[in-house]
This record gives sequence, structure tokens and C-alpha cells, in this order.
Amino acid sequence: MTDGLVFLGLLVPPLIGAATVLLGRARARHAARINAATLPVSLLTAALAANALAGGRAPFESGDIWRLDSLSALFALLVSGICTLAIWLGPGIHADDDLARARARTFRVYANLFTATMLLAVTTSNLGVMWVAIEATTISSALLIPLHRTAAAVEASWKYLLIGSVGIALAFTGTVLALVDYSSTGGAADLALHWPSLLAAAGTLHPEVARLAFVFLLVGFGTKAGLAPMHTWLPDAHAEAPAPLSAMMSGVLLAVALYAIARWKAVIDLAAGTSFTDTLLIVVAVLTIAVGSLSLFAQRDYKRLLAFSSIEHMGLACFGLALGPAGIFAALLHLAMHAAGKSAAFLLSGRVLARFDSHEIAGAAGLLAAMPATGGLLAAAAIALAGLPPFGLFLSEVLLVRAGWMAGHTVVTGIVLALLLVAFGSLAYHLHRLLFGAPAAGVRIGERVGWSMAILAAPLAVLAWVGVSVPAPVQLLLERAVEVLR
Amino acid sequence: MHPSFALLTMTGASVMLLSTLVVLWRRHIPAYISAFRWQSLALAFVAAVVAWHTGARELYVVAGLMLGFKGMLVPSLLRRMAARFPGQQELQPLVNTEASLLISGFLAIAAYEVARPLTAVVSLPTRGGLPVALALILISVFVIVNRRKPITQIVAFLMLENGIALLALLGAYGVPLIVELGVFLDLLLGVLVMQAILYRIPVAGAAAPLAAAAAAPEQP
Repeated sequence: MTDGLVFLGLLVPPLIGAATVLLGRARARHAARINAATLPVSLLTAALAANALAGGRAPFESGDIWRLDSLSALFALLVSGICTLAIWLGPGIHADDDLARARARTFRVYANLFTATMLLAVTTSNLGVMWVAIEATTISSALLIPLHRTAAAVEASWKYLLIGSVGIALAFTGTVLALVDYSSTGGAADLALHWPSLLAAAGTLHPEVARLAFVFLLVGFGTKAGLAPMHTWLPDAHAEAPAPLSAMMSGVLLAVALYAIARWKAVIDLAAGTSFTDTLLIVVAVLTIAVGSLSLFAQRDYKRLLAFSSIEHMGLACFGLALGPAGIFAALLHLAMHAAGKSAAFLLSGRVLARFDSHEIAGAAGLLAAMPATGGLLAAAAIALAGLPPFGLFLSEVLLVRAGWMAGHTVVTGIVLALLLVAFGSLAYHLHRLLFGAPAAGVRIGERVGWSMAILAAPLAVLAWVGVSVPAPVQLLLERAVEVLR
Repeated sequence: MHPSFALLTMTGASVMLLSTLVVLWRRHIPAYISAFRWQSLALAFVAAVVAWHTGARELYVVAGLMLGFKGMLVPSLLRRMAARFPGQQELQPLVNTEASLLISGFLAIAAYEVARPLTAVVSLPTRGGLPVALALILISVFVIVNRRKPITQIVAFLMLENGIALLALLGAYGVPLIVELGVFLDLLLGVLVMQAILYRIPVAGAAAPLAAAAAAPEQP
């Protein structure tokens, strides 16, 4: 495979998808079908590239801008996989009236652009371009939150846009501070912000400036990743957004922001030692896990419940990043498994909302009786997110806790374990309330099991497969991704 | 090196900081927009001075873009946005004017403290302005948190971006051109999306949400 082709194969399909929908106004349904066929090209490219990289191939490179190593390939795979699911199950293919059709078109155009910006963020070697791409994720997704134009959704999107933009501006401040450090200590100007060059020159960076830069970077990208105390936009945005967008934001957008932190941490660690970044990450991680898991019990809205669970899981992944190679391995596995489980849960929540017309857990009680297939899959997803076997999140959480123990953080790991138990209890309580009981009067009972249920079951099948035994290529890809960051 | 180079960049940086302070003590939204315009012109001036000093042609391009985008296009977009919302006054900041000025003073001192390792490591003649750029960044964040009107928050956000651009210019003679172009694109699209969302607030209901738009949702 030629190196340049990989980048075309990843980035062009979502752009073609957006263009098709934009130009194919008159034949919206056909455009939506073509769109359903474009993103799988990105997914296939990502899978082939990931497989080659897991087999020991050198990173794909093209110019000074494009670079796909094992870490990038892992995230490209996640982004293209989850976004394919969202596009397949998103509005548009069944839309009937004109209003629904116009909204479906809006959704498809921006969802494709959103996918392209996330793929750009993980396939570039220039940390400045990565920043530009992550800023663009905010811009391309903000208009989709108020797709149904309720006042609460508009308010949530404003909050998301403002907090996200300010956060990401602080990340740019950190990027510029690191650039100033690099160019003042003799770095080559034409390769400024080029990740491999920055990594090679990291030993000569001024440690104090590097630390200052990392504080800005952590606050900035941490805002996008939903790390506490910068997480305040997240529950509103995830609850108000249409379900496929919630799936994309929670499943992969948060992970891409943590990817940016991981890339920068590798540079700063070489400049200023690991203890500074590790300590900061652990403090933020424990706070985030606490905010996420302690908020779960009080939730009444099932999408907000899922949103707070995302905060908890991002905290766990952040904790792993601070625990050395074993921890990074667990964190990456955790992010991948969370992407699968949470996106399935959000997509299913969209079906629940369509049937029960209520955001409240109490309003959707009796789910299992009304929608046996959706209810069953949602139960499986919730069990996975609560960290129970046989799903992959159980495995990654065990590995995380073990890494914490091995790294000598006994007390902190004990606190994390206790918070995990709280999260498990709260999720189990809410799941029980949602599944059982009698559905409200007027809710249609029974559902047809079609192709969309098979698509929704796919990520859960992956979760169970990895949970039982990690497939060899996945194991290899993760190990090589960890090596990239060392 | 031309002896006036450091002086000229420092003057530009100071004008930029002063225009942020305008937002602290004025209450009239058009005044904020023209303060932002003056700040952007000062930024373009600094970029042009650095381009003249280093002879880097791409920096002239960047200076031109700053002049066109931030100095002319974005202020006119902001004026149109401001005209759509009733009430040109910023009424209820969380912290009053006197306290705001005091806090900004503390932030400026903090910026000098934070910038100490930075000025030690940078050897460019422009390094004297680095604390000014950091102060600009910190004060802009404070204004965003302190103010309630969406339009004031947008202006302060744009001032924050100007501060970062100033930091890059003074500390490293700018970011790579491709990144700079991406930043411009993001900035323009970002302002358009912010405008689109603000315009949707009245669409979601009738007249009442208009008042809500003016008061804005609770902030971070």
C-alpha cells in the first residue's frame, strides 16, 4: 500500500459523503444510501492499516503533515467504526416528511464533517494541525446539538461551544508555549510542532517552560475530554444532542481529546520527567472519576446518566495514562471498549426516546416489556459499562487497577476501586428501574427485529469477544501503540 | 538588528493590552467591538514589524490576513450581530468594575511571575512583551467568565485568540504558516457558528427567549 493512499482512503470518504448529501438535495434518500456506503471505506482503510502496523510495519508517512503510527491507527479505527454506526443508524434513510428530511440532511452533512475533523486530528503528525482539527470538531458538532431546536438544546449547544472554544484556546496557548520552548532551544524551524521532531528534541527543552505548557494543554484538551472540573458542558450537550451525535461525541470525541493529551505527555515527559505529568493526571483523574460516579445515582434522565458514566470512564482512562506502560495499555483498551459500549448505549437510547417520548428513566419504565430487543441490548450495554464480565471493560478495569497497584499508588487505587463499586451500584439500580415494571399507557408494545438491531448488536459482540479473549492483532496493535508513547 | 524593533513590538503589545482593559470599564457593546478592532490592528502591526525585521515573506501574508479578517471582517460581523439584539449595555457582570480592574491587576502580576522561565529561555529581542501577551490571555479568560452577554463573551474569546497570536509572534516569530491558516479558518467558521446558534435562540420560541439570549445561560 502506498503511504499517501492510506490518508486519502481515510479522509476523503467522509468528505465525499458530506458533498453527496449537500448536492443530492432532490434525491435525499439516494444520497443517504450512498453516504451509508462511503464511511465504511474509511473503516476498511483504517482496519487494513492497523493490521499492517500491528504486523510491525513502519508508520505510514506523507510529507511533514501526515503520519499514521499504531496509536493513530487505533484511534482512526475507533473513529471510523463508531461514526459508521452513527451514519447507518442516523436519521435520513427512513425520513418521510419534508421537515424531517431537511434535518436529516443537516445531520448527515455535519456528521460527515465532524468525522473528517476527528480523523484529521489523529492522522496528522503536526501538533498545530492536530489542534486546528480538534477545534474544528467543536465547530462542526455544535450546530447538530439543537437539531430539533428546543430551547434547552440551543442553550446546551451554546454552553458546549463557548466552554469548548475557550478550553481549546487554552490548549493552543500550551501548544504555542511548547513551540516557543522548542524554537528557543535550537529546534529546526521548518519542523516546528512536527511530533517526531519534537520528541527527538524534547531532551533539550527547558523543563519549567515545558511544565507550564503541559498545565495549559491538560486544562485545554481536558475540557474537550470532559475531565473535571472542566466537564460542566458535557452532561447538557450529551443529553440534548440527537442520539447518533451523542454516540459519536461520547464514544470517540472524548477519546480523541485524551489522545492529544497522551501525545503531548510523551514530549513533556522527556523534557521534564514523568513525575510532574503523572501527578497532575492522577489528581485530575480521581476528581473526574469521583464526579462521574457520585453523580450517577441522582440522575433522572437516562441520557444524562450515560453522560455522567462517560465522565467516569474518561477519568479511568486518564488514570491509566499516568501509570506507565501497563497503565497506558489498559487506558487504550479502556477507551476502545468504552467507545463500543457507550455508542451502542446512546444509539439504543435514541430508540427508547422515539418510543416512550420521555427523557426520564421513570417515564421509560417497562422497557423490556415494550421493546424486548432494544431493552435486552441496552441491558447488555449497561452491564458492560458497569464493568462486569464477560465484557471488555471488565478486563480493562482489572488491568487498570493492577497497574495502579504495581505503580505503588495503593491508596489512590483503593479510592478508584471504591468509586467503581458506587458506579456499578448506581447503574444497576437505574437499569432495574428502566427495564422492569409496566410501560406507561399508550406506549406501543412489541418491536420488529430488523437489520438495525443486528448493527446495534455488533459493538456489543466486539465487547464480549475482547472480554473473553483479546484477539492477537488487537493485542499487538495496543502493545505497539504503547511503544509509540514511550 | 534595528534598535527600534523591540520598542515597536512592545508598543503594539501594550496597545493590545489596553484595548482589553476597555472591556473592563465600558458597558457599551459597540465600544467592545471597536476595542477588538483596534486590538486586531495592533496585532497586524506587530506581525508586520516582525515580518520587516526577519524578512519572512509569509509573515506579511499573516499580517495581511489579520488586518482583513480580524481587523475588518469579524468586527463587521459582530456589529451586525449586536444590532440584532436589543440593549447595547452589559448590565450584570458577576464582579463590579472596580473589583474587575483590581483582579486584572493581579492577573497581570501573575502573568509576569508565570512568564519568568519563559523570558529566561527566549533570547529574541521581543521577549520583553511575553508577559504582556500572557496577561492578555489571562484577563480575556477572566472577562469571559465574568460577563453574561453572549456577544461580550464572543468579543473576549476573540481577544483571547489575539493574545495567543501575540504570544506566538513575540516568542517564536509566529506558528508555521499551515497552522496559522487553519487557525484563521477555525476562527471565521467559529464566529459564524456562534452567530448561527445565537440567532436560533429566538427561533426556538417567541419573544421570551430573546430576553434569555440577552441574559445568557449560566456560565462555567
